[in-house]
Amino acid sequence: MTDLNKLYKQQVLAHNKTPHNYGEPDHWTHHAEGLNAICGDQVHVYLNIEDDVIKAAHFAGDSCAISMASASMMTELIAEKTTFEALHLFAAFKQMMSAEGLDQAETVLGDVACLVSVKKFPSRIKSALLCWYALNAAIHGQATTTTE
Amino acid sequence: MLREAFPCLHQQVNGKDLVYFDNAATAMRPQVVIDAVNDYYCHNNANIHRGVHCLSGRATDLYEQARGSLARLINAPSPDNLIFVRGCTEGVNLVAQTFVRERLQPGDEILISHLEHHSNIVPWQILCQQTGARLKVIPMNERGELVLDQLDELMTERTKFMSVIHVSNALGTINPVKELVAKAHAKDIPVMVDGAQATPHLKVDVQDIGCDFYTVSGHKMYGPTGSGVLYGKATHLESMPPYHGGGEMISKVTFEETVYNKVPAKFEAGTPNIAGGIGLGAAAEFILDVGIEAIAEREDVLKLYTEQALKTVKGLRILGEAAHKSPVFSFLIDGIHPHDIGTIIDHHGVAIRTGHHCTMPIFQFFDVPGSCRASLAFYNTEQEVDILVESLNQAKAMFS
Ligand SMILES: Cc1ncc(COP(=O)(O)O)c(C=O)c1O
Repeated sequence: MTDLNKLYKQQVLAHNKTPHNYGEPDHWTHHAEGLNAICGDQVHVYLNIEDDVIKAAHFAGDSCAISMASASMMTELIAEKTTFEALHLFAAFKQMMSAEGLDQAETVLGDVACLVSVKKFPSRIKSALLCWYALNAAIHGQATTTTE
Repeated sequence: MLREAFPCLHQQVNGKDLVYFDNAATAMRPQVVIDAVNDYYCHNNANIHRGVHCLSGRATDLYEQARGSLARLINAPSPDNLIFVRGCTEGVNLVAQTFVRERLQPGDEILISHLEHHSNIVPWQILCQQTGARLKVIPMNERGELVLDQLDELMTERTKFMSVIHVSNALGTINPVKELVAKAHAKDIPVMVDGAQATPHLKVDVQDIGCDFYTVSGHKMYGPTGSGVLYGKATHLESMPPYHGGGEMISKVTFEETVYNKVPAKFEAGTPNIAGGIGLGAAAEFILDVGIEAIAEREDVLKLYTEQALKTVKGLRILGEAAHKSPVFSFLIDGIHPHDIGTIIDHHGVAIRTGHHCTMPIFQFFDVPGSCRASLAFYNTEQEVDILVESLNQAKAMFS
């Protein structure tokens, strides 16, 4: 497979085409908007947190396939996790996307680990990170965040 | 062929021949510009206007010759009408703070257009905050042309300044600046024109346009980054206070008072971008040598070819189809985000820009977050356009 096909792998394209947990839900307790000023990506993350457990996670916004797929997979991964666990996953994802990398990423991050191929495209790493920054902000009660 | 004069064009990226269609972000530089910069550093390196020694004299001559070349390029009455600046952005800020600011009372108005680059919006918003003035905007239509019907109502007795873009970097629209200046002058409104995207592609004659100020960006017209000139009418430049204080812009300093240097030195505090200015002079000479008419003619051919070629891509929509435009194409493809297109075609060696191109209000008008932009220059080829189209079709296949 070429790097390009690894970037736009079937999983990513499928999530982009039919994203999971897409759209603002009727009920949510926490929300944040992530903005990537340079490329104009925008992702809203909506969380329904009860007793410190993320009962449901949704996202909305207008962004590229990498950002859409990342958000779609993230909302699946963090459902039913405690906020502490979700923050741990955020840290793990960031580490996977850094030069350092993450051992056994698949065990920790499941499907989300497939986004490691984005690292070959440094200009797109922020697209994959944006929803995670928004998640972090939402949990901490901040309204907006950026990957800058 | 002229293309050979641009060394950076001749390389491979991602294993493919580079197709450089990001000229509106910054153009390539011909070897003569690179040589001019290099020669200054290798043979004539010295500060200007300061030394009695030989190298300082040579450097000063080269720098002042460059000013002369730019004056010829835009037909300024004299080289003294030109102030060296870092680029258009600095030119706008300079005029806002030294010419317009002292003319404004709370409630006064500054008129710009919907097509402006952020560099011709934000400095005015800052000025409005400082003075209590208000910003008014000439609207645009679906084709990306300015709508001039309401100009009479937009130009009121409170309008103290107008600043408009000559050629849109996002859509390519060429605005009727001469007509706009005439209308504004009929109401005693001074006008600045943002020429960033004009000097590389069109014949610019500041005396014919009649504007009070005109900004030129070096790096858009095949010159060095961080270089540019601001043209101003002599009477304005004489009456304006300096922008920055420092060396070079003075003729006498005591702790009690400072006598400012004459124009244009009054506006050129500190050691300037000497190599950049000299390189920009070489870029102006290059354009004068090739002939801007020849450049414009070639680009018209390329523009028509590109338009036809892009229209063969199903689901592709061009934003901005002004009757008069430069070879700039903003477009969207159904179902694929611009950044994904940018990444995919970069893999085919094609460099375009994606996003809002520092013109967010234009994309708010079209209600999209941004676009893909292919911006061409005379050294591009029809073959390269074919590669663009082929790579767009590949992107579509990937996302189908
Ligand atoms: C139309 C327009 N105006 C102004 C600018 C800013 O020019 P500069 O980079 O010289 O400050 C640009 C380019 O970024 C532009 O395209």
